[in-house]
Amino acid sequence: MGQRVAITGVGVVDERTPDVATWLADESEARRLSRICQLTVAAGRRALADAGLDAHGGLAVMVGTEFGDMVSTISFVDGYLGRGPGGLSALLFPHTVMNTMAATTAIAVSAKGLSLTLSALTVAGELAIARAASAIRAGRVGACLAGGADEPAPLVMSALREAGAAPELRAAGAGFVVLETFDGARERGARILGEIAGAAWRAVPARPHRIGSTASSRAIAAALTEAGASAAEVGRVYTSANGDGPREEWERALVDAALAPHRLTHRSLSVPTGRHSGLAAHSVATAASEGGDKLALVHAVARGGNQVAILVRGPDGPDS
Amino acid sequence: MKPVAITGLGVVSPFGAGVKAFWEGLSSGVCAIRPITLIDTEGFRCRIAAEVPGPIAGSARRSRADRLALAAAREALDDAGVDRGDREDAAVIVGAVGGGMLEAEAWHWRRMRGSTEPVPRPLASSFPSAHADVIGGTLGLTGPRETVVTACSSGAASLAMAADLVGDGVVPVALAGGVDALTRICFMGFNALRLLDAAPCRPFDRDRRGMSIGEGAAFVVLEDPARARARGARVYAELVGYGMTGDAFHVTSPHPEGEGMARAMRIALQGAGVAAASVGYANAHGTATPQNDRIEARAMRDVFGEGGLLVSSTKSMIGHTMAAAGTLEAVATVLAVGSELVPPTAQLETPDPEIPFDCVPRVAREATVEFAISNSFGFGGQNVTLLFKRAA
Repeated sequence: MGQRVAITGVGVVDERTPDVATWLADESEARRLSRICQLTVAAGRRALADAGLDAHGGLAVMVGTEFGDMVSTISFVDGYLGRGPGGLSALLFPHTVMNTMAATTAIAVSAKGLSLTLSALTVAGELAIARAASAIRAGRVGACLAGGADEPAPLVMSALREAGAAPELRAAGAGFVVLETFDGARERGARILGEIAGAAWRAVPARPHRIGSTASSRAIAAALTEAGASAAEVGRVYTSANGDGPREEWERALVDAALAPHRLTHRSLSVPTGRHSGLAAHSVATAASEGGDKLALVHAVARGGNQVAILVRGPDGPDS
Repeated sequence: MKPVAITGLGVVSPFGAGVKAFWEGLSSGVCAIRPITLIDTEGFRCRIAAEVPGPIAGSARRSRADRLALAAAREALDDAGVDRGDREDAAVIVGAVGGGMLEAEAWHWRRMRGSTEPVPRPLASSFPSAHADVIGGTLGLTGPRETVVTACSSGAASLAMAADLVGDGVVPVALAGGVDALTRICFMGFNALRLLDAAPCRPFDRDRRGMSIGEGAAFVVLEDPARARARGARVYAELVGYGMTGDAFHVTSPHPEGEGMARAMRIALQGAGVAAASVGYANAHGTATPQNDRIEARAMRDVFGEGGLLVSSTKSMIGHTMAAAGTLEAVATVLAVGSELVPPTAQLETPDPEIPFDCVPRVAREATVEFAISNSFGFGGQNVTLLFKRAA
């Protein structure tokens, strides 16, 4: 059974968020950080503030991302292509590694615990939240900022389109939920937004960049088992739909088969704003805030088969 | 943590394909760092690296890194005797940084110089997550699938994450490892930071001048020890503890006192209930930068005491293979405890008096070791220590 996992805070920012700068320490921090790192740090601080949780050494950080900081990576490369070795920026180089958002956030909030960056197509944010929930449930982590961040670089997007990738609605943004042990949250008097009742991730057979032909979903089944719940107890579904038609159809088939005979309305928070890995936090927090006596399924599946299922219970759920 | 058994190993290294070539190279103290052939080095002070020699098996439509990863993953699964039936529930966790960037860079270089060639389809696989999809899809692994990026400790982090999945009973078996092919970005970046030695690196030497980069892939199969025994699998060693910490200090520089490094080592020991005095060997991160080696030695001294264990850096032979490093060095550590032979630190001529350990200069050392650690540290202050126990 393990520890119960409480959701105690949420912070989501994107390109249209007016007050990103107010979440940065000062102008010096803003100058040092790339745009995606600014968004990630702002989302992290906002989530911790929402949770009323002071930064502390044991805090873990888990960031999911599809692309990392490709904008800085391309700038780094173009410095060389424009001016040779003398055009290389030592300051930009660390941003070419995908953990730059997690690293800068950990530094910004003094998080010295486990810090992981999980890279995956489509499901990265959900995967980071599921991993974090699993670590808390097992007692390995007490509290964690979990979510994701992405910034689609125009060159990368156009190259992917040229290479035949499916059209998808994307945006730049970052988002986190604060997850902690239920007992720990209660002990410190935290407002509990909801609970991760179960989380699992598996792969559905599919070739890279393709959708699969099966609708059998072991991730949803495993999440239900962990939650000790049946499919009938799921009342709402949040999906990863963002304009890739065949993938959306596959996701619908996977979810419907797993919850059969119940057919629930699917909702995606990626539409119409565009998807980024931080929206997973938004989906989890929204699922919790809508409450009710039913569980909400936050689901994502990627071309290639990576699948994540998170079951969220609101604060007024049966065991809360 | 619950111990997990290591039952399969697979390596593609600068010594060539296969665990046998890897171990023969390490145990004989041969340095595989040579002039770079894969990328243009004109205008750079450092022009050497440890490349994987010869043609890499696999379809040319796959990235070099995908082919390195697939070859090592196949060897590990075959070595462990994990058959098709076992693979359905098996996890695959890959530590990666560069992905298929070598090929993406080449296209971008050409395009920036006026080429109008269309984007080749494999470019869609240039992100690090591609490796896990390729390995999982090709080898039929449909359990949990993850790609972890903790910079130069990614390969070690993958083993720790896999151990959690096995220990928690989520999966009976997991394939975990790291991969990186040489990339221009990596080569240019470390040049820009002035961290590369123009000559093969000399970890722990008083006159060390910096690191050498490399490439490779390594994977291990981890499974529940009882399951491994029940099916009669060969157990190389057990992963009995790990520590993963963050410095929360600086994006490129480690904490000056090695606080996060020492904490990772202590957590690994505490999690396993193993006394520091029981550890006989440390495969160090040992990059050969003046700062890293000094700080890592300080952290090890804080945990194990001066001279408390043998220390070596296999990067002296295969360079720093980035995301692959943590797994290649874990494999080296597993083989060291199993064969009672500690690989040396090549090119170590004049030990640095600030490094208070026997760093096994140039020649491998026979030693019976019950417990050994493998340290891996990365940009962002990402520290991982793996603790292995010799198989019973």
